[in-house]
Amino acid sequence: MTSGTQIAPTPVAPIIPRKLGRRRRVHKLGWNLLGLLVLAVMVFPVYWMVATAFKPGQQILSYTPHWIPRPPTLSNFRDAINQPFFWDAVRNSLIVVTTVVALSVVLAFLASLALAKFHFYGRKAFIVLILGVQMVPLAALIIPLYIMMSRLGQVDKLTGVIAMYLTFVLPFTVWTMRGFLLGIPKELEEAAMVDGATRFGAFVRVLLPLVGPGLVATSIFAFIQAWNEFLIAYVFLHTPEKQTLMVWLASFTTLRGTNWGPLMAGATLCALPVVFFFLLVQRRIAFGLTAGAVRG
Amino acid sequence: MKARFIVAAVLAAMLGVAAATASGGTSKGQADKIVVWLQNDAQSGWPEAVALANRNFKAQHPGVDVDVQYQTWGTHLQKFDAGLAGGDAPDVIELGNSEMTKYMAAGAFKTLTQSAFPNNKTWLQGLKSSCQYNGKLYGVPYYAGARAVIYRKDQYKAAGIKSTPKSLAQFMADSKKLMKKYGKDSAYSAIYLPGKYWYAAISFVYDFGGQIAVRQGGKWKGTLNTPRALAGLNQVARIAKTLTRASKTTDEATPQQSLVFSKGKVGSFIGNGWEWPYALDEKLGNPALAPVVGAYPMPSHTPGKIMPGFLGGSDLAVPVTTKNQSLAVDWIKAFTSTAAESEIAKAGNIANTTSLLAYNASNPKLAPFARAAKSSWFVPTSPNWANVENANVLQDMLVKIFTGRASVKAAANTASSQITRILNTGA
Amino acid sequence: MTSAAESEFPLASRRRRRFTRQRIGHAAAPYALLAPTAIAIGVILGYPLYLLVKMSFEKYGLFELIRHKGRWVGTANYAHILHDGQFWHVLLRTIVFTVVNVTLTMVLGTAIALLLLQVSRWLRVALTTGLVLVWSVPVIVAVDIWRWMVDYEFGVLNWTLTKLHIGNFIRHDWFANPWTGFAVITALIVWGAIPFVTITVYASLAQVPQELLEAAAIDGAKPLAVFREVTLPLLTPILVILTSLSIIWDFQVFQQIWVILDFRPTSDYYTMAIYAFHQSFQISEYGLGAAIAVVMVLFMFLATLVYLRQMLRTGEVQ
Repeated sequence: MTSGTQIAPTPVAPIIPRKLGRRRRVHKLGWNLLGLLVLAVMVFPVYWMVATAFKPGQQILSYTPHWIPRPPTLSNFRDAINQPFFWDAVRNSLIVVTTVVALSVVLAFLASLALAKFHFYGRKAFIVLILGVQMVPLAALIIPLYIMMSRLGQVDKLTGVIAMYLTFVLPFTVWTMRGFLLGIPKELEEAAMVDGATRFGAFVRVLLPLVGPGLVATSIFAFIQAWNEFLIAYVFLHTPEKQTLMVWLASFTTLRGTNWGPLMAGATLCALPVVFFFLLVQRRIAFGLTAGAVRG
Repeated sequence: MKARFIVAAVLAAMLGVAAATASGGTSKGQADKIVVWLQNDAQSGWPEAVALANRNFKAQHPGVDVDVQYQTWGTHLQKFDAGLAGGDAPDVIELGNSEMTKYMAAGAFKTLTQSAFPNNKTWLQGLKSSCQYNGKLYGVPYYAGARAVIYRKDQYKAAGIKSTPKSLAQFMADSKKLMKKYGKDSAYSAIYLPGKYWYAAISFVYDFGGQIAVRQGGKWKGTLNTPRALAGLNQVARIAKTLTRASKTTDEATPQQSLVFSKGKVGSFIGNGWEWPYALDEKLGNPALAPVVGAYPMPSHTPGKIMPGFLGGSDLAVPVTTKNQSLAVDWIKAFTSTAAESEIAKAGNIANTTSLLAYNASNPKLAPFARAAKSSWFVPTSPNWANVENANVLQDMLVKIFTGRASVKAAANTASSQITRILNTGA
Repeated sequence: MTSAAESEFPLASRRRRRFTRQRIGHAAAPYALLAPTAIAIGVILGYPLYLLVKMSFEKYGLFELIRHKGRWVGTANYAHILHDGQFWHVLLRTIVFTVVNVTLTMVLGTAIALLLLQVSRWLRVALTTGLVLVWSVPVIVAVDIWRWMVDYEFGVLNWTLTKLHIGNFIRHDWFANPWTGFAVITALIVWGAIPFVTITVYASLAQVPQELLEAAAIDGAKPLAVFREVTLPLLTPILVILTSLSIIWDFQVFQQIWVILDFRPTSDYYTMAIYAFHQSFQISEYGLGAAIAVVMVLFMFLATLVYLRQMLRTGEVQ
């Protein structure tokens, strides 16, 4: 093995010979059909949400379902965007989420390094703490949290919300990153360390790429958690200019019921950034793009 | 090396955040802004009333800003509790009238002087009693909703019903005619009555002279199993069995009953004033039905009288944590002025004063509801009533009756003992 | 074959013994790495958690909340909960519910992750994008969609089942019977949980080096054996972690049941989180709510004890 070579993650592919034999092709077809079925079943409710967003109101509550909106209409989207404070909510959600994702990925990587690669006093206690913190129901913590945040002057502030989101996202991200780190075979680590680099340098240059997929998965999770959270945002953010998209979505439900069309349109809009973020980072989860690893 | 750098940087960032928050003082004590919490119905339903109130308030207090923050019904009380715990609740808050007693009993509101408010001598009695506790006034009536029967004039005509029923017996007979004519369609209901729609169902109890609970010698007693109450519940059971195809386990909001009505397979339903135009909404309802929709107050079993209806509504209160009591009171005065309340009435609600009932009465679309508002009932004014509602006692009872899982008497017995127990907790 | 927190290398160790400063720095490394996270969690959650436990021993209703002072009642809250007959019913129901949901989530999630390995590349991208789409829908909205799909009057599910001649489902009320009701709720929760499990497991699979698999194949092992001997052991840490997280989350499920039953679930639908909410926050008895939360945490600890020991052992230094 040559030294100084970046060991990139290689994609996992089924072990099949280059040329697909007929039997293999039939197998592949079978798998693909199954995959399509799974895709259809899983995605249907999301399709229903998007279809509803394009349906005129009368077609939404209908004795016979309208599978495809005919004619599709943009009026729900227009109503959604015209709902007060939409753009403020977009801005606030983006600020909160990018900060939370960036901080949590960095902190979680560091912390999980400690938990997975070191042996030190207090390690077990910390692991138990990380797990325990996730067991406390959020609804129970709202009042104590509010009391404390109020004393710190962090009510109705995005920084307060970011700090709270970080606290709830970190245990999970640390926990999962530790799992990813533990999943790296020892040989790879040792092989990379032979050239005598400093410990931490080795970590960053060697382990970081190896857990690339893990980092991406955790960052997606952190993104979604922060993006979709409602209760904390609703209780702690008071002025409408500071509220996030989830609180904005809740404004579609009044005593008169829920305004389905614009709600689904708004929800569709809210789902887009998550998908964009995912498409941006998904390459690191080895979709068959060979990274050209050179191994001796 | 890099590690320590990163760690140090992150630590510095967090310390920076902590420093910033520590130095950020609160701006309480400066009377340059008041915070008002209204439910989002005002935002979508009668924004002109809010704008009017703000304009008049600003004219009176030029240097003071009004921050109206709209809340959602599901979690607004949790948020209010958090605010009370943290000491920064709003200066004015809207609460549902059945939510008031619990907070009044806990001392959450400032006492108010009735004579200071507009139209206070003609406040709707049903709303006024929800603002009073132990002889003191803790809130101001905001608006109410009354219910009446909204029906299809053309279907009535086609089924041979010549005029709207004037007694409950007539109503049942008329509905039977509708079922005979249209009931072959398995989706059709002569009267659309979902199982958990307790506002409508319990009105039958009060019509026959029954009550949910009575106070005897300092203790509450659930009375849904008295003969009078049972008479009412039996009528409801009859409707459930023979006159409606609505879901037995949902309430009137999911799906919105007026929208179901607009699909054409419903002869009548019991709804609020705003549900009539909602059924004709151009985006969600069926505007083509406009000429054939009408309304009349639900008749009592006593011919010629009106069945008492549940007076739902909201009140405005000033939380005890406020530092701007007089400003809060002034804003409430502006928002419950005759002009503002007229705007609210225009939106299909019942204003907080009987003097404006005439306004509703002159509008054929609102008149039946104004008439219905004259005869009303309200829930037991116990601080524990909210717990009864949250325990779904009434809904459970009705669902059991509608699904046939228990007889009317058995379901009423269970409900009554539950109500007795819950209302007397802590007594 | 688990990777260990190996801290000594033959070459490096000799050098380290010579440099004391480096040795102290090395010993401090894990603490330095942990510090930011520990501070973040400790600062925000420390005091509230302390308050929560304190409140569990107090009468802390609306009256006390306004005056910012609870009344000490010792273990009265705990006694109240544990003597409540309903509590044990709800606990049993929640346990069964959790077991069913976690099993379905883990089995289906992992199966789909493995499926991802077998399909063509375009389908792989489509599937993962679809899964992220599912994952990106906020819970409230997802529940709203499902609520409408199973609606009594207008639901597409009833219409479809009837059209497929599976039976007459017209105006079928899925929530009249708690068994069918929970079937719908389970489908909704598992559906929402699969993307996370699948993508995480898939990412973990992506870390399995091609070389190891090829080596095993060259040795003549069949695909199933390769999976069992090579892949599964590397996957075990993440599977254990996912399962423990699923247990914790499914035990606390609240929103889905709450919203799909139109904010008013009847008592035969109560799970621990709804019971807690109903017993406390709905009636503003926060002391009682705190006690229930503490009981829930203790219970979840017990439930995950087995996994805890596994997890603590994984990554053990020799």
